[in-house]
Amino acid sequence: MFGKKNNNHKLDMGPTGGLCSLLEAPEGEILKIVEIRGGQGLHRRLLALGFHPGDLVTLENEALMNGPVLVKNLTTDTRIALGRGIAQKITVEVATGDER
Amino acid sequence: MNDKVPVIVFIGQPNCGKSTLFNSIAGYKAQTSNFPGTTVTHVHSEVLWKGKIYSIVDLPGTYSLSPHEPQEKVVLTHIFKEKPDLIVNVIDASLLGRSLELTLELLELEYPMVVVLNMIDLARKKGITINPEELEKKLGVPVVKTVATRGFGTDNLMATIENALKLKIRPTAPHYSREVEKRIAEVMDILPEDFPVVANKRFTAVKAIEGEMLAVDKFISEHNLAFKRELDRLRQEISALREAPAYEVISAERHHLALKIFEDCCRVTRPKISAIDKLDNLIMDPVLGYFFLLVIFAGMFYLIFKVGSPLETWLLQPWETIKSTIENQFGHSLLAELLIGLVQGIGGGIAIVFPYFIPLLFLMGFLEDAGYLARASFLLDAFMHRLGLHGKSVPMFILGFGCNVPAIMATRILESRRDRIVTALLIPFVPCAARTTIILALIAFLLGPWWALGFYFFNFFVIAILALILKRWFKYDSPGLILEIPSLKVPSLKSIWQKIYFNLKEFVRFAWPILIAGSILLSLLSYLQFDRVINAILSPLVSGLLGLPQSLGVTLIFGFLRKELSLLMMFQALGVGYGQLMAVITRTQLLTFVTFVTFFIPCLSTLSVLWKELGKKVALMSVVLNLSVAVVVSWLIRLVSSLF
Repeated sequence: MFGKKNNNHKLDMGPTGGLCSLLEAPEGEILKIVEIRGGQGLHRRLLALGFHPGDLVTLENEALMNGPVLVKNLTTDTRIALGRGIAQKITVEVATGDER
Repeated sequence: MNDKVPVIVFIGQPNCGKSTLFNSIAGYKAQTSNFPGTTVTHVHSEVLWKGKIYSIVDLPGTYSLSPHEPQEKVVLTHIFKEKPDLIVNVIDASLLGRSLELTLELLELEYPMVVVLNMIDLARKKGITINPEELEKKLGVPVVKTVATRGFGTDNLMATIENALKLKIRPTAPHYSREVEKRIAEVMDILPEDFPVVANKRFTAVKAIEGEMLAVDKFISEHNLAFKRELDRLRQEISALREAPAYEVISAERHHLALKIFEDCCRVTRPKISAIDKLDNLIMDPVLGYFFLLVIFAGMFYLIFKVGSPLETWLLQPWETIKSTIENQFGHSLLAELLIGLVQGIGGGIAIVFPYFIPLLFLMGFLEDAGYLARASFLLDAFMHRLGLHGKSVPMFILGFGCNVPAIMATRILESRRDRIVTALLIPFVPCAARTTIILALIAFLLGPWWALGFYFFNFFVIAILALILKRWFKYDSPGLILEIPSLKVPSLKSIWQKIYFNLKEFVRFAWPILIAGSILLSLLSYLQFDRVINAILSPLVSGLLGLPQSLGVTLIFGFLRKELSLLMMFQALGVGYGQLMAVITRTQLLTFVTFVTFFIPCLSTLSVLWKELGKKVALMSVVLNLSVAVVVSWLIRLVSSLF
């Protein structure tokens, strides 16, 4: 039941960064939302919760057994738990120095 | 105009403390009424303040005004139908930047409005200093600071409301970037004559643009195809501005404007990491978090049983005395039996409410207000998904261990009806305090604690299997968890008490009368010696299928009323005391009996709440499901147990 926490799948994006899904992004790094893909319902829901492209976010935590991830939106200072399927649909890049 | 009662609606995002504020104002109340809907509810209250009556409506929390989620639909319908005289927009001041997005959307309605900066103390702790005058200037509406949990600022709010109603100042809609405004104006110009204008033309135009792919769009294309084509063209133009769907462009406009206002009106200093943040990191830790989860809930149940069961015995005592007095006084007359039925009904209600219901509601209210239930949902989401449910159902199952009744009431917060039904059908299988009493009294004491623990795990196993079966039955298309995690805070006793009060009121009004009536009815049946008939009727099931003494049949009927009555009636039916029980029945019979009583039917209170919350069909489904599971599982127990 208590699976080992696995960080190996995380991409090494380097200091300037490329695009990746929120799920693959490194924990603790300051990221910028580039795009929210997925269905309209999901899209509208996230917008309503104050998660917009351009916002700075950071991945704080993840639950066991492929559980949801905990995302903090630094722009609006809110935290949400997102299922993995949903986190997968959010494209991010590592924020540059000016953006921070 | 003066004699008309002004209608004021409270609108805010979830977790903004809106209901707490509403309750602390409704404390001046003249009259309160509840309007439970099918999926969401709104509370309506007549408030008397300085000799004037105000009609205040507390709408469910909503993140935006797009008609997408069930709560949001309720909010929209309400605004449009009732045409409120004033909107009170409650904001969690510690999340001002995000919360202003809804405020801007509300301003577009151009209804008189007051903005409430609630939880201003929390904002201060987070290092946010808000300049209310500046915010008033930017928004064009009065701004009031409150701390609802302490009742701070409520008088000021009422005075502001009174003044705003007098002045009736309509705010002007916020201005978005020029390119977007140009398209909005164009849509306003081409709105057909017969188009239903909501609030004002601009709001209607904005909502028409945002309504892409929603029900609104279908309506438009059915009524006026030419307008629809023009609208689509303008949407595309807006969409091209930011390379995003038109609704996202509009939403982004609000987002940026909200952040701009936030920056202009607030000074933010980074606070030091507080003890509560450290605690938060600990309880959300991917490994330690589960340990704390276990400790918190185990501790909670230990506490409730430690407090509850002696309290229950103590509370039942006077009713027992009254019962024996009645018996001595009137013998076995009809009057005596009816009186005893009445006494048992009243006493039974008290014995549920005080020892288990209130302590449990208190602890649950504490965890909820502290923000822990959302965290438990986060930690257990993956596990629940395997069972075809959401992390959001976790709190209800936890509640169910105390009493299934509040657990089923709590399913209201689930957005989809499918999730509500599945959760509500599973809750009656969660061993509540009453059933735990039976498990402890019969299995732990007579067969040993390991048997009881085994039985508990067996019970969870049955629930998991059932969840998997229900998952096949009800199509599972969960979009995945999206759950805001509110900041961890020290809960206020006042707000917890309000929660207890509201739940308690519903129990007293609804479940208790049924309990009393049922109890009197059963007394009547037993007076008419109908219990023998019942035993005879149930005999094929009780002795035929389950291999139990025939006389236990009637105890099941009592178990329907209250689960632990089965236990008490069992001794009466078999004519033995606690100590001699094992002399008259076998271990197999004991296990079969406990299994059957645990599962066979939701108790009357649970069933009434199921009926009230989800309708006749679901209540009936629950009865059939429980009965079939009870028969199959206890028959299997009999079979397996007799092999050894």
